[in-house]
Amino acid sequence: MSLLSVRDLITEFESPSGTARAVDGVSFDVKPGEIFGIVGESGCGKSATCRSILRLFGGASARIANGRITLEGAGDLAQMRERDLAQVRGRDVAFIFQDPLSALNPTMRIGKQIGEVIRRHRKASRAEARAAALQLLRDVHVTSPERRLDAYPHELSGGLRQRVVIAMALALRPRLIIADEPTTALDVTVQDQILRLLKERCDSLGTSIILVTHDLGVVSQICDRMAVMYAGRVVETGAVRDVLDAPSHPYTRALLAALPGQVSRDSQLIPIKGAPPSLIDPPAGCRFAPRCTFAQPQCTIGTAPGLHPRPAAAEGHFDACILNEVSHAAA
Amino acid sequence: MPLLDFQKVERRFPVKRSFGDLLANRKQIYLHAVRGVDLAVHQGEILGIVGESGCGKSTLARIGIGLQPSDGGQVLFDGRPLEGPDREGRLQMVFQDPYSSLNPRMTIGAQLEEVVARYRPQMPRADRQVEVQRILAEVSLVPETALKFPHALSGGQRQRVSIGRALCADPQMLIADEPVSALDASVQAQIINLLKGLNRDKGLTIVFISHDMNVVRYLCDRVAVMYLGEIVELQECASLFAAPRHPYTQALIEAVPDVRRPQSLREPITGEIPDPFAVLPGCRFAPRCPLAEAACQAPQPMQPLDTGGLARCWKTARLLA
Ligand SMILES: Nc1ncnc2c1ncn2[C@@H]1O[C@H](COP(=O)(O)OP(=O)(O)OP(=O)(O)O)[C@@H](O)[C@H]1O
Ligand SMILES: Nc1ncnc2c1ncn2[C@@H]1O[C@H](COP(=O)(O)OP(=O)(O)O)[C@@H](O)[C@H]1O
Ligand code: SF4
Ligand code: SF4
Ligand SMILES: [Mg+2]
Ligand SMILES: [Mg+2]
Repeated sequence: MSLLSVRDLITEFESPSGTARAVDGVSFDVKPGEIFGIVGESGCGKSATCRSILRLFGGASARIANGRITLEGAGDLAQMRERDLAQVRGRDVAFIFQDPLSALNPTMRIGKQIGEVIRRHRKASRAEARAAALQLLRDVHVTSPERRLDAYPHELSGGLRQRVVIAMALALRPRLIIADEPTTALDVTVQDQILRLLKERCDSLGTSIILVTHDLGVVSQICDRMAVMYAGRVVETGAVRDVLDAPSHPYTRALLAALPGQVSRDSQLIPIKGAPPSLIDPPAGCRFAPRCTFAQPQCTIGTAPGLHPRPAAAEGHFDACILNEVSHAAA
Repeated sequence: MPLLDFQKVERRFPVKRSFGDLLANRKQIYLHAVRGVDLAVHQGEILGIVGESGCGKSTLARIGIGLQPSDGGQVLFDGRPLEGPDREGRLQMVFQDPYSSLNPRMTIGAQLEEVVARYRPQMPRADRQVEVQRILAEVSLVPETALKFPHALSGGQRQRVSIGRALCADPQMLIADEPVSALDASVQAQIINLLKGLNRDKGLTIVFISHDMNVVRYLCDRVAVMYLGEIVELQECASLFAAPRHPYTQALIEAVPDVRRPQSLREPITGEIPDPFAVLPGCRFAPRCPLAEAACQAPQPMQPLDTGGLARCWKTARLLA
């Protein structure tokens, strides 16, 4: 049983040079209470996928061209009228952005901002909202929370601001939190604190989280399952330990091989040559082929390969490499 | 003799005073960005400088390259006090954002030639283009790159151009300030390989500033850890990671996410780097340190370690005795 089920999602952006398919046929499920990681290089469509769920495109000329986004008990978000979707935002699904400052109103005190989120969705007096805000700040381990209620965002450090944003996301007890690079702008010791906080809140409240990051280490820390994206498509998905310990798609393997933490000092790091393709006019067949060391002639024809289970792989572990598919057919 | 020698280097920035402060005749306050840094960079090594944002890494780098004066102590380059950027270009810097450090309106070739002309005036004009092509090859860029403008290159290519431009001066030393922080891991690996190769094959001395402990562990020979303007630990790279002695270094290393393991159950250190205005008489890490006690309120000098390194914590020194 899934909390969120995304099927065949296609999202396009209009730009002067053409239509870019930032998301091209993405499917995945998020189960209740799990943390689902989405990783990939910059520009591969991680944020576009997440923004599609709540249609948060911030004025960009974006459209969902295809797909179903089913939230348990709420129906298909992709078909929902804007007015109804506005109710889903915050109440059922909350969003946390990379830059906490952009999510906060610079001219409003912290306590008031959190209170407003509460009062927008349920009846509460100012005093009740303030009391609830105080409790939320305590829940996210803000030190001296009484004092912070009256602070303005610029008076807080980056880590404190991100805690406030998380408190706001938790305010309405959403069933799903979408966090887009929530720790990328933070220092590593503070990142560690915030990741622990997200995990703890997820465990104690049963909230599900979609965590977007370009850092495989972050996924390894707190995610249960994950998807690896490349050029608008999911190329590998499965339980985190299965994917990271036994990666099967050549792109996932190349990403891991490029990390300096993986090799001895005496061996060379292995970069991925070239760059991801244009999403306006992507190449035929497998989009990773121009950079793939295993590429065969049949990799560059037809439509992009879809996800399929791999022989002998763990349950729920899928990848989109033709070579694995062939060996599957042969087996 | 060290190639570059920071001796008791200090740097304070006056903090803008509000109109109210002026009216009330409040004292000018300063942000102490670099405090009494002693650091010797040896010929042929890759020295890492790590620490979290705002701890003073970039300020120290700019002082080391002569882009900014220190206001206490001195920096010796090749035995002589550094006064402004080296005229012969023997000290070069590479920045985090390669885009802002390249001229958007000049071709890559023209920009590199300009640097060759400036620092190697004796080279005949006709040879410069050949030299530029040799350097492009050295940083693994195809010859056509010379004809392109910066916007037409990817992030990784641009960063190779900025390293190439530094090499045009035929430097003895490179200070690289977060040169891979803006790049994806897939591309970052090219730049790290390149720096490692330049050090190994040409003996280029490199100061590598980073907040990424995994990169530093892979690349550097020695590592200095900074916290709030001070160096708190200095060790050979291998022993720093095998046996970090300062509690801050330990916390920093433990907080690095590992792709091979889920999160440990260990308690993370609490709090964040306090603002750099905080006046702390003793150990500057004390407000976050799990081992802090009353004696930590005394000033902490660097103490020798069993590993041959140094750490700014009386406890580590005592535990070893
Ligand atoms: N507002 C927009 N207008 C036009 N194109 C866009 C817009 N937003 C995103 N895109 C394009 O869609 C693709 C995917 O973008 P997205 O931001 O989702 O990537 P990402 O994986 O989150 O990358 P990053 O790690 O850099 O944030 C990119 O090619 C991007 O240029
Ligand atoms: N020109 C300046 N004026 C005022 N403060 C500065 C200036 N440059 C740096 N600082 C301050 O000095 C401290 C160290 O900065 P920096 O060396 O840039 O840190 P890092 O590179 O480690 O992130 C920071 O608190 C920063 O805000
Ligand atoms: S399908 Fe072909 S090109 Fe694509 S990842 Fe597999 S082997 Fe490489
Ligand atoms: S001097 Fe005290 S407070 Fe500072 S690091 Fe050592 S034990 Fe911790
Ligand atoms: Mg993004
Ligand atoms: Mg810096």
